[in-house]
Amino acid sequence: MDRLVYVAMTGAKQAMLAQGLVANNLANSNTYGFRADLARFSESPVPGPGLPTRIDSVASGMGFDHSTGTLIATDRPLDVAVDGDGWIALQAADGNEAYTRSGAMNVDGLGLLRTGSGELVLGDNGPIAIPPFTQIMIGVDGTISVVPQGQGPETMAQAGRIKLVNPDRAQLLKRPDGLVQLADGGAAAADATVKLSSRFLEASNVNLGRSMIDMIELSRRFEIEVRMMRLADENASRAAELLRNS
Amino acid sequence: MDSLWVAKTGLEAQQTRMAVVSQNLANVNTTGYKKSRAIFEDLLYQNVVQAGGLTSEQSQSPTGLNLGTGVRVVATDRQFSQGNLINNNNPLDIAIQGRGFFEILLPDGTLAYTRDGTFQLDPNGQLVTSSGYTLQPAITVPPGTQSVTIGVDGTISVLLPGSPDPLQIGTLQTTDFLNPAGLQARGQNLFLETVSSGPPQAGTPGLNGLGTLAQGAIETSNVNVVEELVNMIETQRAYEMNSKAIERTDEMLRYVTNNL
Repeated sequence: MDRLVYVAMTGAKQAMLAQGLVANNLANSNTYGFRADLARFSESPVPGPGLPTRIDSVASGMGFDHSTGTLIATDRPLDVAVDGDGWIALQAADGNEAYTRSGAMNVDGLGLLRTGSGELVLGDNGPIAIPPFTQIMIGVDGTISVVPQGQGPETMAQAGRIKLVNPDRAQLLKRPDGLVQLADGGAAAADATVKLSSRFLEASNVNLGRSMIDMIELSRRFEIEVRMMRLADENASRAAELLRNS
Repeated sequence: MDSLWVAKTGLEAQQTRMAVVSQNLANVNTTGYKKSRAIFEDLLYQNVVQAGGLTSEQSQSPTGLNLGTGVRVVATDRQFSQGNLINNNNPLDIAIQGRGFFEILLPDGTLAYTRDGTFQLDPNGQLVTSSGYTLQPAITVPPGTQSVTIGVDGTISVLLPGSPDPLQIGTLQTTDFLNPAGLQARGQNLFLETVSSGPPQAGTPGLNGLGTLAQGAIETSNVNVVEELVNMIETQRAYEMNSKAIERTDEMLRYVTNNL
């Protein structure tokens, strides 16, 4: 059969992959701090002898969208959103330093500050331990202050400072668990210019309208590729018919 | 086929969020109810093309292709912010202003904790919750009591017939946890201690950061109806978008079966 059918097959398969990516963005349209994944199609000539007529279309990642999501007021003192660029540092399950934009935090039974999904939030010197408190406040630079249990509001004590980083965007990669890390796996330096908004959470930055359009475009692209496969099939059967008649 | 399953996780997560929102709305008038919210997290990513992989000896793939596999609910996070206090002048209704819980003895001997301070008397004169469980430490109101007074620090005194001086019959204690959000909800407005909540720390109301008591008041739920309605709209739209993704993928697959 003509090689056309393989080019069309690759195109259809890649369109389906990209559709999975769009579906994942849509599924995470209500995940706090989620960053939409981006994909693009690039041409990939098929190497080999003969004329270079066949060029596959291959989906490849373009990292993720860095734009800021809407801030949602929650009025909970342990909710923080990063205002503008920047990331909150935490210790991922594998022990490495990773970054997130989702700041729904909790103090666990041992007094350690954790994210909603359970990772330890990192301060300037490792995990942050919070003493028993009656009031807690997180400042714009990540400083955590508490009114310790049994003392009046005049005794505001500092309990640590959340490590905030702002590495170069090109160095950031999404990990398999959805957190973000540096491409070389190291730890980024703390950046004093990153600002937090306490009592806010950042919504997912998935653009629903655009995702719907992407989905329509991908499904049409897929249909065109399938149509090409059908044409290749028709061509081949015509050729077979000619040979039979002679 | 991936996108079908990815969109399915989206539908499930939104469905769970809708259940949490409905639970909050259903309990908007429950005394001492604390609202919760669903926290989502993206599922594991598949590495289709490894970022940083060498595309030749001199060049490397700058970003790779990561395909996510959907979303899941990691936690339903309970928020222990203060509800409004409503005065109803019922002497046995007690609200906590600030941190703390009442300790309740369940019939099976375990201890539970509640913010619902609508107490009644049982036939023996003991203070019990609306479900009939005893308040700890047990308080017995003597028969023939004319009036009960509960101080902000939990001191309970009664006025007996024929005596001008109030008689102190006990002290109410409240209990605090390091991480109240880690308590396990048991239903009936009760919470149970868990490892993540930390151990209970009993104390006198008003001391050591514990809230004071307000007699003749009840604490309403802290559910914000407007906020929940907005959550509901957001959830519904996200649900619709995910079902569209399923529909679209289904259309693509049908096109294959019809045309090849």
